[in-house]
Amino acid sequence: MLNYTLRRLLAVVPTLLLLIVVSFYLMRLAPGGPFTSERPLPPAVMQNVLERYGMDEPLHVQLWTYIKNIVCCFDFGPSFSQKDRSVNDVIAQGFPVTLTYGFWSAVFVLVCGVPLGIIAALRHNSFWDYTMTGLAIFSQIFPNFVLAPIMVLLFTLSWGLLPGGGWNGGQWQYVIMPAVALGTSYMAGVARLTRGSMLEVLNAPYIRTARAKGLPERTIILRHALKPALLPTLTYMGPVFVYMITGSVFIDIFFSTGGIGQDFIDGAYARDYSILLGLAVLYAMLTFVLTLLLDLLYAWIDPKVRSQL
Amino acid sequence: MTGADPILSVKNLSIRFRTGDGMVYAVNDVSFDMHAGQRLAIVGESGSGKSQIALSILGLLARNAEVEGAALWKGRDLLAMPAAEINKIRAREIAMIFQDPMSALNPYMTIERQLSEVVELHEGMSRSQGRARALEVMDAVKIPDARARLRAYPHEFSGGMRQRIVIAMALMCRPALILADEPTTALDVTVQAQIMELLAEVQQAMGTAIVLITHDLGVVAGFCEDTLVLYGGRVMETAPTRALFRAPGHPYTRGLLRAVPNINDPSATLAAIPGSPPNQTHPPRACPFAPRCEDAVTACFETLPMLEPHAGTASRRACLRPVEALT
Amino acid sequence: MSQSSKRLMSRQFAEDAAEEMITSRSFWADARGRFLRNRMAVVSIFMLLGLVLFALFGHAFAAWSYEEIDWAVLGKVKTEGGPSWENGHYFGVDDLGRDLFARVVQGSQTSLMVGFVAGPLSVMLGATIGALAGYYGGKFDQMVMGLYTIWISIPYIIFFVVWQAFFGRSLTQMILVIIIVNWTAGLLIVRGQVMLLKNREFVDAARMLGMSDAAILFKHLLPNILWVIVIYTSLTIPEVIMAESLVSFLGVGIQEPNTSWGALISEGARTMTFGTLWQLAFPAAFFVIAQVSLYYIGDGLRDALDPKDR
Repeated sequence: MLNYTLRRLLAVVPTLLLLIVVSFYLMRLAPGGPFTSERPLPPAVMQNVLERYGMDEPLHVQLWTYIKNIVCCFDFGPSFSQKDRSVNDVIAQGFPVTLTYGFWSAVFVLVCGVPLGIIAALRHNSFWDYTMTGLAIFSQIFPNFVLAPIMVLLFTLSWGLLPGGGWNGGQWQYVIMPAVALGTSYMAGVARLTRGSMLEVLNAPYIRTARAKGLPERTIILRHALKPALLPTLTYMGPVFVYMITGSVFIDIFFSTGGIGQDFIDGAYARDYSILLGLAVLYAMLTFVLTLLLDLLYAWIDPKVRSQL
Repeated sequence: MTGADPILSVKNLSIRFRTGDGMVYAVNDVSFDMHAGQRLAIVGESGSGKSQIALSILGLLARNAEVEGAALWKGRDLLAMPAAEINKIRAREIAMIFQDPMSALNPYMTIERQLSEVVELHEGMSRSQGRARALEVMDAVKIPDARARLRAYPHEFSGGMRQRIVIAMALMCRPALILADEPTTALDVTVQAQIMELLAEVQQAMGTAIVLITHDLGVVAGFCEDTLVLYGGRVMETAPTRALFRAPGHPYTRGLLRAVPNINDPSATLAAIPGSPPNQTHPPRACPFAPRCEDAVTACFETLPMLEPHAGTASRRACLRPVEALT
Repeated sequence: MSQSSKRLMSRQFAEDAAEEMITSRSFWADARGRFLRNRMAVVSIFMLLGLVLFALFGHAFAAWSYEEIDWAVLGKVKTEGGPSWENGHYFGVDDLGRDLFARVVQGSQTSLMVGFVAGPLSVMLGATIGALAGYYGGKFDQMVMGLYTIWISIPYIIFFVVWQAFFGRSLTQMILVIIIVNWTAGLLIVRGQVMLLKNREFVDAARMLGMSDAAILFKHLLPNILWVIVIYTSLTIPEVIMAESLVSFLGVGIQEPNTSWGALISEGARTMTFGTLWQLAFPAAFFVIAQVSLYYIGDGLRDALDPKDR
């Protein structure tokens, strides 16, 4: 298991390198840069600025310095657009915000999605079942960027229950809507998937064996059926995390939470190489870590996979 | 058969399934008795409803099933029992061995857990007591190195070993009756013989009654003293196994026996029964075997033969044709 | 990718499908019959057709162009900018006093264009790579699969934002970046299908007849996996439209004065605090109608083409 974890972590290194190199050249070779503006700077000033950020050196040297700083000191360099701030500062300020509602969103997805799916499976073809199927279709058609405005319309503008944006140090009223708006469609996806796999598991021969043992229904569900029914859901969570990170950029902007999504988009407007690259690397690392954790969890649950590690 | 009261008495059991294509009449008016320690074989082709009989006794039928009749266990009707009551009988008094050991065991639980939960539930044992019983039973079914393998998962065992575990599971509470549904079908021929031998041994040692459900007359021959032949969900014939093999009383049984390879006379040709299994979307009004029966007369297509004793033997059969007339 | 494509990924599906294609000649006719019997799918086809016609000919009915500012209502958008027949703003005006009807027509053009051009093209790219990887196997296959694993684990938003920021925000660039980001669309399924089919007798026979690899791929394998590509394309189009809308919502998509559903929804969402709800409602309605009909069409195609349960 430890061996496997190490191997996986090592595999992340070339991937990140690839991401950095490709993005780096892509950005640098494209026309325009952080200091291009409508009124060009005098050449002397420009030269000065470029020197200050080390941009007068050849590209591969800059790339090398960039990578070296990340590896040795986890330093993503200075921001080009935000004066006197480093990319690390930007991350330190925004990342906890994104991570906070992201975490609660994941909790919402699992804590609501899994039981909903199980109930729908146990009450197959009942009111609950149809409600859930409806919800699943609904959420596939209303993505977060349509859902979020509707939520604000209802909960903020009409009923005045929740603030329509801001963060306020992560007070719970400010966390609810970002977390729910980000998670709803995945919650429905998880519910639908859990329902399907639970129905399948309940028809499995080994559940009949469990029934033949005289176990009460509750024990059968919790002890025998739950684990196998959750495995497909666990696999599904990998892509879900990737998509949730994408969605978080939208949430940061729409709800003005002050998370890194806002910095990312601002960075794109300002052509701030270091912010864009730094946040891209951060997003990528986040997905790798989450997927690795999921895979380990999967192996921990599924003895067949575990014995192969 | 012994003269004592039967432990299980199945009376006029009928099972039908509601499906998208209408009703399917899987089992029709089946009755039989089981005595303590008895070994009964229920023989039939796939689709003859033999597995459904076993499942209905333990209340394990699919949700779209409708059941009629009674299955009296110590005087109480299992078919009418509420879930909480029948749960106390499952595994403790009547246990089941399933067909496919590959899928009958939960792949996500250790063998120990799957075995010990039975006695923890029914006998209120602790984990360690449960483990001790599991070890004992695994030894009884001759699983080598049982102690070391308690913590293993099903996928770490071979098919034969898994079937031994399934048998061990059925033995955990020393039930009075075991329903064995095709226990060897999914296994290699050599392993089949070992498993049957094991079942016989365990049955002898514990005095358990066994209903062996199979399509394989060869398996029946050496194991069960009585045989019940099922076709189209109806009992065609029931007889002591020896008598049945010597002189089948029903054309269908005769056809079945001809289809079994004879090890003493490999040159004998095997005769398949022509035609295909019956359409069971209607309740039977005539002999279900008539369309495939070479001895059928007009009456066979019009009346439903009853199960009646014949020729002063212990056998009973449902056929309009006199035995003497059968070639 | 949605779970709807889960079954598409399974081995069972591939085998069912391969079996089906080899045995049945009237496959497409059967499938068409099954599709046409699916009422939701047929209704959805008509809804989608309506949207396309709206996008193509909507400008003919608009009283205003999508760039023109109606100075008569500017500054009074909240009170006088709502939907009205009198001044020709059927859907009202946007925040800058531009005709929302004309803008929705323009936005529909963009979004549908992106969906129906970038969607099929990215599946074509993915299918081609998948087919080659499945057919040749070996090192190339390993490399493709390695790249695939990496690629799907990176949030696509990164590429969109970086690309759009540095290569400009035109429709062409948008379509281009969608195709590049989506090069994995349909890859796994087509690869699996080809791996399964290439060992069939008819491929061996073709090889013995001296057919070239390209001829085998196009003449023998393509017809047999075409239906997988059709299903996958129907799933990809709404996803692509959704991705474009999200990126445009974030402000790094289509550039003003051009617009798309996502950009319009974004503007509507920003101004709804002022009570100009129509600015959110109309674009959102069009977006949702498109998604609903594409969802049911995809569903219908899957039911019609998937050999399971038949």
